[in-house]
Amino acid sequence: MDAKDARSTWDDLSLHDVSMTFNPGGGSEYPALENASVKVRRGEFYCLVGPSGCGKSTLLNLIAGFVRPTSGTIRIGNRQIVDAGTDRVVVFQNATNALFPWLRTHENVEFGLSVQGVPKRQVSERAMRCLDLVGLRDHAHKFPYELSGGMKQRCQLARALVLEPEVLLMDEPFAALDAISKRIMQKELLRIWRQFRMTVIYITHDVGEAVLLGQKVAVMRRGPRSSVKEEFIVQEPYPRKPTDEIVITMNAKVEASLQEEVGDSLYAG
Amino acid sequence: MQDRLVTLARRAVISAASISVAVLAWAIFARYFAFPDLVPSPWDTFGTGASMISSGALLSHVGISLERVLVGYAAGCILGVLIGALMGRIQIVRQFADPLLQLMRPISPVALVPLSIIWFGIGDLSRYFIIFYGVVIIMIMNTAAGVASTPNIRLNAARCLGARPRQIFRRVIIPSAVPYILTGMRVALGFAFMGIVAAEMIAAQSGIGYLIMQSRMLLRTDIMFVGLVTLGVLGAIIDGCFKLAIDRTMKRFMEHQVNV
Repeated sequence: MDAKDARSTWDDLSLHDVSMTFNPGGGSEYPALENASVKVRRGEFYCLVGPSGCGKSTLLNLIAGFVRPTSGTIRIGNRQIVDAGTDRVVVFQNATNALFPWLRTHENVEFGLSVQGVPKRQVSERAMRCLDLVGLRDHAHKFPYELSGGMKQRCQLARALVLEPEVLLMDEPFAALDAISKRIMQKELLRIWRQFRMTVIYITHDVGEAVLLGQKVAVMRRGPRSSVKEEFIVQEPYPRKPTDEIVITMNAKVEASLQEEVGDSLYAG
Repeated sequence: MQDRLVTLARRAVISAASISVAVLAWAIFARYFAFPDLVPSPWDTFGTGASMISSGALLSHVGISLERVLVGYAAGCILGVLIGALMGRIQIVRQFADPLLQLMRPISPVALVPLSIIWFGIGDLSRYFIIFYGVVIIMIMNTAAGVASTPNIRLNAARCLGARPRQIFRRVIIPSAVPYILTGMRVALGFAFMGIVAAEMIAAQSGIGYLIMQSRMLLRTDIMFVGLVTLGVLGAIIDGCFKLAIDRTMKRFMEHQVNV
């Protein structure tokens, strides 16, 4: 399949009045999301920030199709999301658990193609291309435990890219990395996104990171009954620097919006 | 390489010293503190053992016992992994089987020997059953724990990479459980060796357990000691081979997971 052909059918992602209640009717009933509506244009880099426990990851799990919403619909174009699928691949924060530790780096990347019965020759060829893309070719034969934190995330990224997903879902992917690896990985991600042009939904609790990466930054209300409160459009072209004027002012705006949700608890300390 | 040889040699020397000290203590005890008929000296034991080896008697007992262990152990491992996997994945199976397991766990295989003979006769079937029983319970518990411990996000990762439930089970859940399964297999092997002696002590005409039991009638403590030493050596060798085999073939599943 040619990537270009696939891309022409890619579409916008929308959540319409999505509610998610855990343990409905039970003693520990928890309404995580209530009437959350989101629209993400195809190919958009969409960042989600919010206070911890606000349901960012729940939102991502819903889009991934790991769980079904209590009510509301999630669509890509006209397709309703009812299950997990290779059009929406997730990059998790905890790479050690997310990767298959008994498979070498290239085997991890090959997994998605191989379970779908893609011919072996093609599988290794396409996996190698993606490993090249994320700069892991020289480490293709290592096991995940032999990789650094940044390299593990590269491996997860390659494992997703090999399936040419329409939407890349990222759940605080670089939160566990040191500051320098984080900067490098952010740059790499932007480079790859600009090459592939898939939709990226990027969850983070780091406002600075969100403003540096996203075309749109959405702030979520604090839980329970959370939803997207407001969206900020970051006009600054890439590559951005933390010192760019627009980045700084946008940072302040998002931070202020977020602080309304966190309340005084963040700075009362 | 040089360093590894040195460490290896060091370990060998310490192991040899440990065994030598034990044999020496045994020899002193037998010589100065005990009746020779009750506690045979190491040399008597080794002498008896050597003559039993050259006559072929010891090896035939060992062979018979090993065969019984192998059959019961293999059956217990296979069935234990299957049941354990079902328990780990399907909640209703787990909830149904768990109380039964908790009740069965304290019942030692030895307690089942008389019943097993009534049920399965004095043939090998009753002995397979006793070993099987001890092994299967350990394997069920370990496999179920391993299968249930697969990280949720690893399952989710497999799902969004397009794996179907059956593929997830075979290619994600079982490999994730391998360290637990192998640990269970090593523990169960020890239990199988304990079980075989119990199984052979009653109504058997061969095997190491029979050898030990029969020596009691003849008051041949030296043969008893030969039996005991044989059990120890055999168990240690097989466990060593097992560990080596795991290290050689299963390394990718064990690395940075639980240690066996």
